[in-house]
Amino acid sequence: MTSRPEFSAQTLSVLSALCDQPSQWQHGYALAKQTGLKSGTLYPILIRLADRGLVEACWQDEPTPGRPRRHLYRLTAAGLASATGALASAAERAAEQAAGARTRTGKPRARVRPGPAAPGAVPGTTS
Amino acid sequence: MATAGRCVAWLLPAGRRYWVAAVWAEAHEVPPGLERLGWRAGGVWMLAREGLMPRQLVRAALFAVAAAVAAWAAWPEPAAGHAAVSQFHVIATVLLLAGLPLLARRFFGPASPSRIGRSLRFFCWAVILAFMPAFAIVEAFANMTPRQAAYRRVWGAPQGVPGVSTGGPGWAGEIELLLLIACYGLVILWLTSRRSRVTRSTLAIGASTGLLFGLVMYVVAPLGLSNDATDPWLSGSPVDALVALAWVLLFGGPAAAALLASRLARGPDGARPPYNIRIGQGIAAGVLANLTGALLVVVLGTGTAALMLRSAWMLHWLEHGQQLTAIATYRYEIHTTADLGAYVLMAIAFPLIGLFMGSPAAAFTNAAPRESGPRTDGGGPPGPSPGPAPEPPPPGGRLADTEDRIPVLS
Repeated sequence: MTSRPEFSAQTLSVLSALCDQPSQWQHGYALAKQTGLKSGTLYPILIRLADRGLVEACWQDEPTPGRPRRHLYRLTAAGLASATGALASAAERAAEQAAGARTRTGKPRARVRPGPAAPGAVPGTTS
Repeated sequence: MATAGRCVAWLLPAGRRYWVAAVWAEAHEVPPGLERLGWRAGGVWMLAREGLMPRQLVRAALFAVAAAVAAWAAWPEPAAGHAAVSQFHVIATVLLLAGLPLLARRFFGPASPSRIGRSLRFFCWAVILAFMPAFAIVEAFANMTPRQAAYRRVWGAPQGVPGVSTGGPGWAGEIELLLLIACYGLVILWLTSRRSRVTRSTLAIGASTGLLFGLVMYVVAPLGLSNDATDPWLSGSPVDALVALAWVLLFGGPAAAALLASRLARGPDGARPPYNIRIGQGIAAGVLANLTGALLVVVLGTGTAALMLRSAWMLHWLEHGQQLTAIATYRYEIHTTADLGAYVLMAIAFPLIGLFMGSPAAAFTNAAPRESGPRTDGGGPPGPSPGPAPEPPPPGGRLADTEDRIPVLS
């Protein structure tokens, strides 16, 4: 019986986006564009990851003139390890599911065709 | 939008507020228009969920709707002579009901996680909200000077400006009523708070005893203490079974609830708590029993009177199908509304009776353990050795000091 994955699909997409550049600080809007998530979904994920110590956050040191400081995010060392493991597990599960799907939809088993009937044999039966 | 964001930020715990600023700051990077609006809206909604759990949002919305309906139904007509007092009563009651839980959380701690505790709070608040319009209808009628001169000659009819209500209990009476509502609310909030440590079984015993008592009391006195409504099937004599039961439940109910609750009290580990804790559980059950009963009978009785004043079928039923003249009907109604003042006495007296009956019952059945003091004779031969251990009871028997396990009601 397969165990329940630790992270949801949306969380894995956020972790994957953060793993692309683990040492670089990233903005929320950039993460939203990479993952395709809306702010109402992305920020709860970031909050949960920050609560678990997998993501660290900070404010931008030098904001763009005329705009407020932006909040930046990146993986912690523990977050990088968890993300790497989780993404690898997710890739394995996806590979298993793909292989299982190919087995179910692969070539059908070959039907055994009866050879020439032996003397006394009943037609339609195999010896 | 910025104001909404600041309001949401104030609702959040301190550790979450900077996330509001994060969402808001990031919105400047989103292309303007619908996309930016959607970004901010998603952030506000998400953070509102973080600050107010969905269940709390539902409860707050439910209360707001119920309070609005009750306030609308209880709102006095502008032409009424007592409009200012009644308006104050409606607004103050709603504010009281909205503010008391917040105050209770500050001093009593969070609510008890048990379902019975939350149900009791819901019951108390629902009863008070239902009482508001019923009380307004009864007070408006009781103080309405009839237009017809013949009606004004009925004993007890108001003698003011014809067609105008002279008002309810006045400012002093309104303040007293609000204080009574506040006391009820605070007692319920305390008994159902985590800090009070009142157990689920105690709440269940007290509430169920109170509900039974309230129903019996309502059948005995559906329109105050006047027996017009119950005559002839309950003429009010002491030999009526229901009347006798009401008396028994009034005094015996809290005593029985206190006894049962104190005997069944168990700590978190299942062990019997110290005797003083058990006594406290018993007192809580006794007070809760009569307090719940008082709430029930007051709202049902006042509601019945209000329904009688507004519905011909209710009056017809209460009068046992008699065809009354208009003046006789008015006399019946005005006397009934005058008798409803007994409910105020019940609301004050019943919980006090519960306290006075529950306390000795709990204390009597949970006496402090005797403590053997140290020897003060300074020496001497040792005392006799203790006797052999008592034999175990035979199968099916019990030791003399074993308490009977009473089936738990909860």
